[in-house]
Amino acid sequence: MLAIREQQSSSDRAQQPISVDLPYPGFQFDLCLRNQYLISKGFKAPIAVKTGTTIAGIVFDGGVVLGADTRATEGEVVADKNCEKIHYLADNMYCCGAGTAADTEKTTDLISSKIRLHSLNTGRQARVQTALRMLKQMLSRYGGYIGAYLVLGGVDCTGAHLYTVHAAGSTDKLPYVSMGSGSLAAMATFETQYKPGMSMEAAKELVSEAIQAGIFNDLGSGSNVDLCVITSRGVDYIRPYKEACSKGVRQGDYSYKQGTTAVLETKVREIKFDVVSVTEHKMEVD
Amino acid sequence: MSILEYNGSAIIAMIGKHCVAIASDKRLGIQAQTISTDFRKVFEVNSGLFLGLPGLATDVSTVERTLQYRLNLLQLRESRLLTPRSFMYMVSSLLYERRFGPYFVEPVIAGLDQESYQPFIATMDLIGCPMEKNDFVVSGTCSEQMYGMCESLWKPNLEPLELFEIISQALLNSVDRDALSGWGGIVHVVEKDRVTTKHLRARMD
Amino acid sequence: MFNYESPPHSHTSIMAVQYDKGVLVGADSRTSSGIYVANRVSDKLTQISDRIFCCRSGSAAHTQAIADFVKYGLEMHSTEMGKPPLVHTAAHLFRSTCYEYRDQFTAGIICAGWDELRGGQVYSIPLGGMCVRQPLTIGGSGSTYIYGFCDANYREDFTRSECMEFVQRALALAIRRDGSSGGVIRIVSIEEGGIERFLFTSEDCALLQNF
Repeated sequence: MLAIREQQSSSDRAQQPISVDLPYPGFQFDLCLRNQYLISKGFKAPIAVKTGTTIAGIVFDGGVVLGADTRATEGEVVADKNCEKIHYLADNMYCCGAGTAADTEKTTDLISSKIRLHSLNTGRQARVQTALRMLKQMLSRYGGYIGAYLVLGGVDCTGAHLYTVHAAGSTDKLPYVSMGSGSLAAMATFETQYKPGMSMEAAKELVSEAIQAGIFNDLGSGSNVDLCVITSRGVDYIRPYKEACSKGVRQGDYSYKQGTTAVLETKVREIKFDVVSVTEHKMEVD
Repeated sequence: MSILEYNGSAIIAMIGKHCVAIASDKRLGIQAQTISTDFRKVFEVNSGLFLGLPGLATDVSTVERTLQYRLNLLQLRESRLLTPRSFMYMVSSLLYERRFGPYFVEPVIAGLDQESYQPFIATMDLIGCPMEKNDFVVSGTCSEQMYGMCESLWKPNLEPLELFEIISQALLNSVDRDALSGWGGIVHVVEKDRVTTKHLRARMD
Repeated sequence: MFNYESPPHSHTSIMAVQYDKGVLVGADSRTSSGIYVANRVSDKLTQISDRIFCCRSGSAAHTQAIADFVKYGLEMHSTEMGKPPLVHTAAHLFRSTCYEYRDQFTAGIICAGWDELRGGQVYSIPLGGMCVRQPLTIGGSGSTYIYGFCDANYREDFTRSECMEFVQRALALAIRRDGSSGGVIRIVSIEEGGIERFLFTSEDCALLQNF
């Protein structure tokens, strides 16, 4: 399938009957014109899920701690009360995402797979700098239109590193960073309490404090605190590290009696199964 | 008016004990004018795997057919059934491909894993940010009403019959306060060995 | 209003000065995202080769990308030539990039360094993509406040220590008046013998106090 596709140029796509609708690499722009027309007719363009977020990270003695809240919003509606904003990049690095949820998700997924290929090709663990370079080059190529605002942290053979990556593609390397709509609250906590060379426990507590400052003072952030501690010994992903607010237990019960809902027609269909045995073979990678 | 609200729709999916349910309304409208009261927006793409597509009706058809096509081709090539989670990523990729000119649908996926029988529900926004949940998901023109109903009615470990009552009541009472959706409802409850489909009596105004 | 999505800008105070044995480049350290200081200790003095630096002002993303691109091109060039690149070459690589993408990029760059052919040199590549050699150049939003100071106090026969004093005072004055500049003063000296970095905080510099 791939071999066929590589020989084709995009212009003779229409002549290939079988793979017309199969995914092509990169973005598709075929609906842009139609959507622009609909918008010109006075229909509002829908909004995507955003993570009006508080994400933060600090470098401590021997590693980094990343932190995030767990609220995703769609306008003023809370779309997800416990979403995961600390994304896996590689065994030695993780990435917190703020901004458009789909963009942070897909960007980190894409870079994660590129890093995996890179480390398989080189036979080494990838460096944080390598991931940073991939991220900033991808984001700056799209000129800020991919709304991913990231905090990248990790440990490699050169030590512990912490970066922020802006959607436009600019990066900063700092000992303590915050991003998202709650970044002011988180940064205020860091500016008053951060000290160089903190212990792991103190660092975890400080990041948790910073995220909670976001949760309580920023409307776009809420629910729990997730933490991810990365050292040369490994990763400790703590989800949740702290439930900043709990819902409380419902005392009553709203159950309906059976037959409450009036039904016009009922169909029951049996699901028939073929018994298939599945065996897994591990792929040899070395 | 948002483009997503042009045709009107309401879809809920809920997890129960070893079962899932997905419910939708039946209306197809052009803004305030009702065109059909038997419009399908929930599709059984695999046995026991459902895809709900609220949003612009033209895109509902396109997305459903494209996905069914890709799914069939993939399952033929690989001689296996896709798990609900893999299907979610397939939907997500299709939508994110059009990140800068999206389809106007916000899909809901519900199904039982064919091997472990674990219930699975998920939703995503129109550019394909996957959101997996372990309670309920809602999508459509009256999502705020549905959030409210589900937040108070849902509880863990619902048996299939209880789940049916709760998802039906959540749907019917939500669409009662939405002018764009309603006109009948349909509920699919998926269990290990059967799919029960019920058409609900609803207000037709 | 605070909006973390507004792209980080270096509304900067940057300058570069030629003296008898080399050049000094200097900058403040503020990167702002709208009205929020996204980074108060940023380094706008980016090394392009052993003896060439650039000072970046404008969009942080654009100038970082341009600096990366020029650094890469210059390294390829000097590998092909088998000797260190000329400052003139670096400056014109900046110029062609900035000129070609003048409609897309917001970047004002000062390129300075030392080479065997012409010694210490300073080139200014402002917004439209022009390139001009000057003995002294200043850039960024803070520079408007110190044109007079620079004209009045610059001498062509500066020694390094005199030049250091001059750059420090000029940047401190710019930071004092310009809200978009701030933080610390970073200065790099580039001579035949090597480069040296200097950092001045408000404790070191009386003019910077109360910031």
